[in-house]
Amino acid sequence: MDRRIVITGLGVVSPAGVGAAALAEAVRAGRSAVGPITRFDASAYPCRVAGEVREFDPADGIRKDQTRYVRKMSKVMAIDIQLALAASNLAILDTGLPIGDPRTNEPVLPTVDHARFGMVFGTGFIPTELDDLAGPVQASRTDGRFSMSRWGTHGIPQMFPLWLLKYLPNMHSCHTGILWDAQGPSNSLTCSDAGGLLAVDEAVRILRRGAADRMLAGGAESRVNPTLLMRYCLLGRLATGGADPAAACRPFDLGRTGQVNAEGAAVLALEGLDTAQTRGARLYGEVLGTGCATTRAGIDACEADGRAVAAAVRGALQDAGAAPEDLGAVFAHGTAFEKQDQGEAAGLAAALGPAARTVPVTATKGVTGNMGAASGLADLAVALLLAKDGLVPPILNCERPDPRAGLAFVTGRPVPLAKDLVLATTHAIGGQTAAVVIRVTR
Amino acid sequence: MSQTRKRRVVITGMGSVTPMGLSVEETWRNLVAGKSGIRPIAVFDASTFPTTFAAQVPDFDLAPYVRDPAPYATAGRNVRFAMAAARMAMDDAGLAPGKFDPDRAGIYLGSGEGALDFLTLVDAIANGTGPDGKVSAVGFAEVGFKRYVGLRELEQEPNMPANHLAAEYGIGGPTFSCLTACAASTQAIGEATDLIRNSRADLIVGGGTHSMIHPLGVTGFNLLTAISTEHKDEPWRASRPFDRDRAGFVLGEGSTIMILEELQHARARGARIWAEVVGFGSSADAYRMTDIHPEGRGPVAAMRLALADAGVRPEDIDYISAHGTGTQENDRVETLSVKIAFGPHAPQVPISSVKSALGHLIAAAGATELMTCVLAIRDQVLPPTLNLENPDPECDLDYVPNAARKAKVDVCLSNSFGFGGQNDSLVVRRFVP
Repeated sequence: MDRRIVITGLGVVSPAGVGAAALAEAVRAGRSAVGPITRFDASAYPCRVAGEVREFDPADGIRKDQTRYVRKMSKVMAIDIQLALAASNLAILDTGLPIGDPRTNEPVLPTVDHARFGMVFGTGFIPTELDDLAGPVQASRTDGRFSMSRWGTHGIPQMFPLWLLKYLPNMHSCHTGILWDAQGPSNSLTCSDAGGLLAVDEAVRILRRGAADRMLAGGAESRVNPTLLMRYCLLGRLATGGADPAAACRPFDLGRTGQVNAEGAAVLALEGLDTAQTRGARLYGEVLGTGCATTRAGIDACEADGRAVAAAVRGALQDAGAAPEDLGAVFAHGTAFEKQDQGEAAGLAAALGPAARTVPVTATKGVTGNMGAASGLADLAVALLLAKDGLVPPILNCERPDPRAGLAFVTGRPVPLAKDLVLATTHAIGGQTAAVVIRVTR
Repeated sequence: MSQTRKRRVVITGMGSVTPMGLSVEETWRNLVAGKSGIRPIAVFDASTFPTTFAAQVPDFDLAPYVRDPAPYATAGRNVRFAMAAARMAMDDAGLAPGKFDPDRAGIYLGSGEGALDFLTLVDAIANGTGPDGKVSAVGFAEVGFKRYVGLRELEQEPNMPANHLAAEYGIGGPTFSCLTACAASTQAIGEATDLIRNSRADLIVGGGTHSMIHPLGVTGFNLLTAISTEHKDEPWRASRPFDRDRAGFVLGEGSTIMILEELQHARARGARIWAEVVGFGSSADAYRMTDIHPEGRGPVAAMRLALADAGVRPEDIDYISAHGTGTQENDRVETLSVKIAFGPHAPQVPISSVKSALGHLIAAAGATELMTCVLAIRDQVLPPTLNLENPDPECDLDYVPNAARKAKVDVCLSNSFGFGGQNDSLVVRRFVP
């Protein structure tokens, strides 16, 4: 029998605020956190809305020596990394593990075997902040043109020495590991939107093969910057219509016009049921099964039949030993990009079979926009918290659900969570697809 | 490997594109002959950069390696390398379409970013830079929307090589892409092995692909003073792992792809078996962002975990393919780590760094180095560490200096340690039924 893996800590930083509860409450109430972009002047872009994280502090709530580390290093951490650190801190603090006393040189987590504490983080490739290159680029111009030769002599010397490290996608794991002395297995998955749920898949396998006692499964990404906003505009994937930012992202709605870029981080603290019970930990839920697959239609394509979504969902159900009718809710990826939504709906309908008519299907991106690698994990956190009230939240802005989907979309108001199993699924553009089945604790 | 584990993972195909050859055999021949792939940088004008040389993959035509070149029009060097290496690996494994169930096949790559459109970036930044030295997104967008190409921008995502592979070969199973800096493809092969052991797939196209030989890549490493700036006139002397006068690594690029396959699956189709992947260990230094733990805490743990997973003792290891970057710190700490993990046996184990000849392939380094372990087992010969001319008292193990060596080789350990402190080790063994 495989080792049973439970979720004992949640950390979320999202456009709805700091903490998993802030997101769960916004999703339950159908309150949008999408707004006009304030981080930079987006007036030259066809899409000018995003899900921005307004205020957070990656040094909140941690020990003084940890705070010093974060304060010192934050200038060489892109916002993605800071978000990851903040959510990791929340998740670890939420586990209720005792924190060591720095005055007596206690380890930061004195009851934890640090060599057996690891993490897997979903991340994106982080584009450089434009300001970091502004001076060096100016210094490299001659006769009104950029000169590579001058970049070598005048540009490079103006860059700050740790520039590269500020943007490396493995730094989520590295800084979190340093801050919490986590010396166990450590990975950084660059699988776009699927990265967070794939991190759960891998973290669970690491725990089951006995290579660690506890793992963080995380995801963090920011797509609220001039470079990534441009990329998604050029790919024709962003919502453009409407004057009201709160109504911009409309998963599975007939009036959808595209996705909304966002930023955020979500982290689940995972451990064996055995160790969690021994220490009397609060159990949010249990990871029952994971599944993964891939789209083979091409890097920018959506599979119309949602074959990969169906395969990942079936795989997760099979791994969980569950049938579609055992599900109390499905949290779909639901980006609100039409072709992607349609393919996902087809895949879900195929995998759920006759149960598609009854299993409530919801999505949270109407509230947050697309938080990339954080998406599926944030959905699991929402599902776990709303399970306390026995609710499946509605899809914000899904006013005229696409009837071709053949799914039981939750619209308008929450519906009861009739069963304890919840599935979340996410997929990357043109590729990786993941699904996770959890049992929620009510 | 534990006795209870039923599913064994073997390597049934290899393909490689490196600075020293456009095939596994060409690269290996040149490595064993003691040649170097390091030359002045030709892919862009680096003549005024602090570092002017790197190990570059020779130009090649992608068409013979793909069904249709069209989807690769905006692809970066990383994707081109991976597609060529994968075709050679699939052919080597005898995996023509219809010979395997694509839904039971997966992909796990350690892979880096695609080609950055650097000239558009700098022109867009210049256009947006105001008198205060800040860049306005309005000015940036004015140039950007004219010149950036959406698909080329998408190709920068590190998961694109994996996604191209899925489309090219119709692979529908688990697909992962990781970027744990310099450890990525060792980690990819290790975790791919776990996926197969867990029956999540029967075969996985695993390995790595990367090119950081682009203006911002060289800039970034120069700023960190991680790459050598010495021996400009004789760049093949610049990569000097374990030598007293080592002064940093030399950037390389390329891709190595391996077909990792469950043993019974391989046997059932009569596949030739190169070697067996028997052990994997992953750890984190959790020490500092820019320094390795001085006692090699993470590397020691990764090596020990890999040996334990393989069920072998230090004295069973015939050869260690070192991370061996040629930075002062790495080579000193790696040497110390081997001494700690291997105990009194450490001086008996030959160790070499093929980075002395190939440069550092970053996310593709680990898979490429594992390939050299597999070939060392086949040919009973160890590739040399080039440019090891002046012994360093702190690096006093057997590094197979300067010339290949005949040796009995059945079991090898391959090390990869990433910037930021993620460490991975693999154990690969001659296949014994």
